[in-house]
Amino acid sequence: MTASTSSVAAVMSGPAGRRGWRARLTAWRVPLSILALCLLPWLLPSQALAVNVLIYGLVAVGYNLLFGYTGLLSFGHAAFFGTGAYATGIAIGQFGVPWYAAIALGILAGGALAFVIGLLSIRTRGIYFSMVTLALSQLVYYTALQASSWTGGENGLRGFTVAKLDLFGWTIDFLDPLKKYYVLMVFAVAALWLVSRILNSPFGAVLEAIRENETRARACGYDVERSKLISFTLSGLICALAGTLSALHLAIVPLDILHYHTSGMIVMMTLLGGAGSFFGPFIGALAFLLMEDVVSLWTSHWQIVVGGVFILFVLFLPKGIWGTALSWRAGR
Amino acid sequence: MTKESKGLPFLTRRATLAGLAAGGATLAMPGILRAQGETIRIGFPTPLTGPFAAEAKDQVKSAELAVKLVNDKGGIAGRKVELLVRDDKLNAGEAATRTLELIEKDKVHAIVGALSSAVQLAVNEVTRARGVIYVSISQSDTINEIKDFSRFTFHEALNPHMTTAAVAKHTFKPGSKVAYLVADYAYGHEMLRGFKRAQAAIGATSVGEILHPFGAADYSTFMPRLRSMRPDILCICNFGRDQANAIKQAVDFGMNRQSKIVVPVLLHNQRLAIGPEAFEGVIGGANYYWGLEDTIPAAKTFNDAFKAANGGAYPTDYGAYGFTGVSSLLLAIEKAGGTDTDKVIAALEELKYDVAKGPQHYRKCDHQSVQSVLVLESKKKAEMKNEADLFKVLATEPASETILRSCSELGFPA
Repeated sequence: MTASTSSVAAVMSGPAGRRGWRARLTAWRVPLSILALCLLPWLLPSQALAVNVLIYGLVAVGYNLLFGYTGLLSFGHAAFFGTGAYATGIAIGQFGVPWYAAIALGILAGGALAFVIGLLSIRTRGIYFSMVTLALSQLVYYTALQASSWTGGENGLRGFTVAKLDLFGWTIDFLDPLKKYYVLMVFAVAALWLVSRILNSPFGAVLEAIRENETRARACGYDVERSKLISFTLSGLICALAGTLSALHLAIVPLDILHYHTSGMIVMMTLLGGAGSFFGPFIGALAFLLMEDVVSLWTSHWQIVVGGVFILFVLFLPKGIWGTALSWRAGR
Repeated sequence: MTKESKGLPFLTRRATLAGLAAGGATLAMPGILRAQGETIRIGFPTPLTGPFAAEAKDQVKSAELAVKLVNDKGGIAGRKVELLVRDDKLNAGEAATRTLELIEKDKVHAIVGALSSAVQLAVNEVTRARGVIYVSISQSDTINEIKDFSRFTFHEALNPHMTTAAVAKHTFKPGSKVAYLVADYAYGHEMLRGFKRAQAAIGATSVGEILHPFGAADYSTFMPRLRSMRPDILCICNFGRDQANAIKQAVDFGMNRQSKIVVPVLLHNQRLAIGPEAFEGVIGGANYYWGLEDTIPAAKTFNDAFKAANGGAYPTDYGAYGFTGVSSLLLAIEKAGGTDTDKVIAALEELKYDVAKGPQHYRKCDHQSVQSVLVLESKKKAEMKNEADLFKVLATEPASETILRSCSELGFPA
């Protein structure tokens, strides 16, 4: 948390300040992300993994907006991720909606759900907030389980494979893993730019103020409830976008996407990378997925190894990978 | 500089070109040879971690045996076979990702595997969109239906419909009162649907059904309710550890004195884990039991090969799926003379194979493997001849399309 506070300070002190490199990093964070994302499929062992890093990285970025910057620990973000995916899948599979409209519908559905859940849950704080979001997201899970004629229930949603993308007379072979990655990347980059823009805006500063001291932010005249609700909804929108991308990528929506394990995984990735930092969530998702992928190829007891690494992280890198890297650099 | 070039008179343009051509040719030659002898790669996603890990590990051992037997004979037309095992974590999304990796990165020629209804449907969705053959080795009725079927989809496992039809035929009587304890997910629901259909045909009646959550450890609250239904038959439709826990607790509550305990699939590993006392007299279906070796020569061959490869261990029911699934695929590749997908599909459709449990073939319309269903009863401890002598075969429902749903019922054009 302190890492990001100092990032605000760094912006204030300007490029001429002692921490000028951090201001430059902040100014260049979107182009740097684009560069890193462009290289990702060439660096990872498989393109399918690269797409997953993209999707989960985006979920973690969306989640980080609420958790890292606004300071609200939600335990129900799987609901928005899953709703985005289901809405896209149902729109394509049952109504034959074109893919771009299905993405829009997915984002809207997830965003609308986030607005409602946000409205209900931001009345509470701390552990109660986490419990309410968890309970409401479980509600969504069981709804999807029961509405099996729409969602496929336990068997998951199938039958909406998008093999080709048609846009302005262009046709892209969406089964080609590399083309698929770059198409999905365009959406992820747009979302990243949006998040960067929000964080740089006065509204972003209000969110951080709420995180640091809610009472004081209120005393300064900011509408805390409204800001929290907007932050919650925006965070839900970005998770929903990631959900729609996941639906297009896998061509299935498994019921597990709404399970609280997914919510837990999102929290885990954000913490692993470093909550409250711009690059942290993506790095967390990358580290998490890469570790699982590589270690599970090597041994079927991968859970022991991955669990051990997590314990080490909690013990020695409590600010996450990126957060710790930032404070090391700043400490020198 | 000029002196140097004079010092190398053989380095003329022509000589260089000739040398390059010769060098290129020698480099290319093994390339051509490699293309001919390219390894046949089979992807095998399976839940090595999670509640079905014991069954999954048996599947891997059996699948590896099928590959080893072919490689020991020199492979298929000189090509070695390789099995690429991946942990799908019993998660449909993970399985889809792993399948994508296997197809896109490892360039597998076919996929065999998965051990859950949802996971196999996810794998099937990925493979059919990319025109890769998939042999599913886990029970499902849905995968037979026209919505999920594709010409690349083959279903080697039994399906709930045929399993329950066979089990009910040999356990339900006209007028029997049946109570159901059902795991609340696809497997339980499909089994329940099958049993109720068979029950209606036989003339038995249902006295109640209770759903329990997947992975439940405590069944004690259900038992008094089931007891009060006073059933002749208690039918427990769940899988893996759930089966062992549910049966053990039913016996603790004395349900076995009041009624017969029937399960759709009597699991080898769960019976081993819990012991003969709790399972005594429990009846259930199976695709395979090693005791078949007394009557079926292919079973003897499979058992012996498995024991030799695994330090004397006996093959299990779900393990055998790994063997029959991979073997049928390899037989078809051999018949097709290569890995050309269309030819392998044609070969699989024509294939009659008997690799472990007697004759099997894939039905033309839905690619369901037509095969026998065993009805087993768990033995008393006193009757067991050795540690692995768990069951007696009460009946064998012969391989026939009559216990499958008809093609038109599944939605296929007649």
